Order: sequence, then C-alpha cells, then structure tokens
Amino acid sequence: MTWMGCGVTTSFDLRLARGTILYGKWHGGRYEVQRLLGEGANGKVFLVSHRGRSYALKVGADAADLQSEINVLRAITDTKSRSGEPFLVHVDDFTHYPGRDYCFYVMQYIQGSSMTEYLQREGSEWYSLLGVHLLRQLAELHQEGWVFGDLKLDNVLVSQYGRAHLIDYGGVTAIGKSVRQFTELYDRGYWSAGSRRADPAYDLFSLAVLLIQVMEDRRLAQLLKSRDRSVNALLALVKESVTLAPFGEWFGKALSGGFNSAREASAAWQSRYRTRSSARQRKKSGSRWLFRAFAVSVLMLAATAIWYLNV
Amino acid sequence: MKQILLITDGCSNVGMNPVTAAAHAYAEGITVNVVGVLDQGDLGEAGATEINEISKAGGGLSRLVHTKELARTVQMMTRKTVMHTIQNAVHKELKQVLGDSSLESLPPEKRGEVVRVMDELGETAKLRVALLIDASASMKPKLQAVEEAIKDLMLSLQSRQGESELSVFHFPGGKHGEGAALDMGWTRSMKDIPALFSRLQMQGTTPTGPAIMEVIDFYRKDDYGRGHRDDMDGLRSDYVV
Repeated sequence: MTWMGCGVTTSFDLRLARGTILYGKWHGGRYEVQRLLGEGANGKVFLVSHRGRSYALKVGADAADLQSEINVLRAITDTKSRSGEPFLVHVDDFTHYPGRDYCFYVMQYIQGSSMTEYLQREGSEWYSLLGVHLLRQLAELHQEGWVFGDLKLDNVLVSQYGRAHLIDYGGVTAIGKSVRQFTELYDRGYWSAGSRRADPAYDLFSLAVLLIQVMEDRRLAQLLKSRDRSVNALLALVKESVTLAPFGEWFGKALSGGFNSAREASAAWQSRYRTRSSARQRKKSGSRWLFRAFAVSVLMLAATAIWYLNV
Repeated sequence: MKQILLITDGCSNVGMNPVTAAAHAYAEGITVNVVGVLDQGDLGEAGATEINEISKAGGGLSRLVHTKELARTVQMMTRKTVMHTIQNAVHKELKQVLGDSSLESLPPEKRGEVVRVMDELGETAKLRVALLIDASASMKPKLQAVEEAIKDLMLSLQSRQGESELSVFHFPGGKHGEGAALDMGWTRSMKDIPALFSRLQMQGTTPTGPAIMEVIDFYRKDDYGRGHRDDMDGLRSDYVV
C-alpha cells in the first residue's frame, strides 16, 4: 500500500539490521536490535535487548500517530500494571544515520503464536479459554473508558497455557468517539450491523467475527465471496459449525449488540463452556450411577437366591 | 474543514486543466483527494500522472485502487486528510513558537499534550466532503462500488463527534457535457443516499477541470449562504497554545 500524497509520510521503509544500536535521544537508553517482529498500519516492531532483557520496540512512521498511541498506552498502563503487566516501558526518539529522527516506544515482549497456530498445535479444546482471556482484557479496557477498536487475528498473541494477549493498541479509542482504526472483516459497519462509534459492543462484534474465523476460516471466506454481508449470514454459519453451534446464543447476542458489557459477555461465554464440560461430567457420573444400580441389583439377586435356597 | 474527493478512471479531455482547478481549490482552503479506480489496468501512465498531479496541487492524497478496495480507500483518505490538515495548522503554530515546525523537536512528554489536542480536533472539527464522481462511459460497471463507498463514508462521518456533511456530484453534468451536476446536497443522513445513480446517463467526455471549478463554486455559495467561515483558524487559536 503506497500513498502518493505530498507531505504525509506513509511509505515507511526503515530497515534496521541485527546488531544495530539505537540510543535514546532524550533519556539515553541503549537498545540492540535483534530482529523485526512485525509491521503494523503505522510502524514497525523490533525485538531489542536492553540491559540484558528482551523488549519489543515500536518505531512510528508518523510522529503524531505514534504519539497518540503512546497517549492511550500511558492512560491504560496504570490499570495494566495493577494486574501485574507493566506494558509501556520507555518512550524516546533515536536519530538514524541519514539524520532523521524516529519516535519509538518500548513495551513488554510477549512470546507467542497466533490464535490459529495455537489451536492447530494444541487442539481446539483450548478454544473457549482463548475467548475467556480476550473477554477479560476487553472488560478491563472498557471499564477504563476505552474500546480496543482494531481487534483482529494479527493483533492477538497466544502465549503458554492459552493466555491470549491483545498486542497492538493503535486502534484504541475513547468510548463515544469514532473508532480510530479498524479492519473491514471485523468492522461492525462493514457487516451493516451498526455504527463505527466506539462502544463496548463494537469490540464484542469484532471478537465474535474473530472467534468465528479461528474455527471456520474457510466457511467465512466463502461467505465473503458470496457478498452476503449480514449478521444473519454469520449466524447461519455458526449454526452449521459443530464447534461453534453450542455458542450459538452467545454469538447471536455479540453480533447484534445484545450484551451491555464485556463483563456480561464474559459471564455468558463462561457459563456456556461450563455447561458443556459439566454435561460431559454428568454423562460420566451417570454411567457410574448405572453401574452402582447394576451392582445393587446383582447383590439383591444373590440375596434373593440365597434366601430362596435357604427356604 | 473542506474536502473534494474525486473518483475517476481516466484522463480529463475537455476544458480547463484539472491541476490548475485543484490549485484553485487549495487556495480557497479546500483539500483535493483523488482515487483512480482501475479494474483491468485501464488508466494508463498519463492518467496515473494526472491523478498524482491533481492531488499534489490540491494539497491532498491520491491512490490507484481496484473497485473492491474503494470503500476502504475513500474512508481512510478522508480521515488521513482531516488529521493532515490539523497537523499543518499545528506545525505552523509550532514554527511560530519554537522556530522549528516538527513535532519531533518537542520532548516526548510535551508532545503528548499537543497530539491529544490534535486528536480532539480531528474528532470534533466540522467537516464537509464533496464527492465528485466521474460518470464517463467506462465508469458504468464501477458505479455500484462507488455507491457502496459513499454509504460507507457516510457511516464513518456519522460516527464522528463533530458535525459532518457529505454532498455528491457527477460529471459531465450540464446539457453541453460541461461541468458537474449535483446529485445530493449537503446531508448528514443515510436516508438520502440509496439509488443515487440509477437515473444517470453515462456520457463520453471527462471534463475534470471544469467539474472541480463547479464544486468550488458550490462551496463558495454555500459559505456565503451560511454567512460564516469555518476554516481552521478559529479552532486553532482556541485550542493550541
């Protein structure tokens, strides 16, 4: 995607070789580049080492864009720190040798894989847990007055034991404003299911599409080809899917704005998988009960036989 | 904030040079963005150059896209241009205060406050976008995508906190194949949009320059009618120290 505009820096071809040392211009930190981790809509993220530890360092293509992301991170970092995750570590600029200054921030490095990779590797029984983690993080953000905005496959990393993390905060928007950044597939407006104004239901809609995508990627792609973009088409897909169907009611509410908060959605999601797992247990205990009944009847038969013989 | 968004698929061939027309628009505080829609690479090098030149003269952006990317492009361009207009205004202020116009010259701690104000303005400033649609014969198969893009843009504008209005023109418009015709005056509601182009007669010529001039005229009359100016100046002195 190259923009041919004047004055707006949009093509961003900064390359930093392994071993490059970046010095913070204002605070003097020293960061050694290990490798490129990823490229987002408005910058690049590198793995760096700083004082013997690994961090993720994001360089912005545009100073104003990156700064507004930093503003959001500053505002939510306090909450995240309380839950034991210091997210934003440093903010600074570095001068690259052609004499241009780049803004960057340093954040916690999360090692993990995408949701689809994780589920393929570890099995789909982890599916509902990923949902739990994402809903919890959304609930925390919403409580502080923010909406994540650009929730999509690329913006979620899953680390050990199915811990799903939201990783790119470029789309985070104050509740009530227009969503800053979104991706069509996950956008409520794209599916004609509501506005682009940031409210908790906007994130829940995106999450629902994401949770459909990670299980039924192929069917979703087919649906998009058919150009039938509606909530009903998504719900029909959910109904047809063996894995998703048990969550049908949840998807129905999430896609039509039926939840008032992520907390409510989270409770509904968890009750869903609790009923599922307890149903399985019930089956097991049911057979045990049958076995016991059988044993009792055998004993009674034996007792009857003995009584009969004695008579 | 005023924008013209031109959607076309070819070179202009009648009347005034569209690059000159775009420069006129920019001089009146209207930013001109251009989207070139090409499905089979039918634009040609001359067309691509013209599109780029128009947006440069108009202080805006240009992009060449397929019809399926049209909605996303229109939406992103409009948003980027809003932020760009604000950045320009802020840079001017910074230059006056600091002698350096870049945000990077401020320490990161102070940058935060400036950008917070910029974001606030981007969300709340009054915005008007005039869409100018090329309705020459080759555009016919693309008009459905254009309509979808218009609806999508309206959705994004409605989600803003600030007052946002949209108007739609097509060209060539007049009886003599000159200028542009108004399809929809300033509106804030989705209701007015359906079936915008169903009655449209597709014509052969592409008078891009005269069409831009007509839209400038429309803005001018409108500003006169409303009896006030709503450019960045008023906002700037209110918000930026």
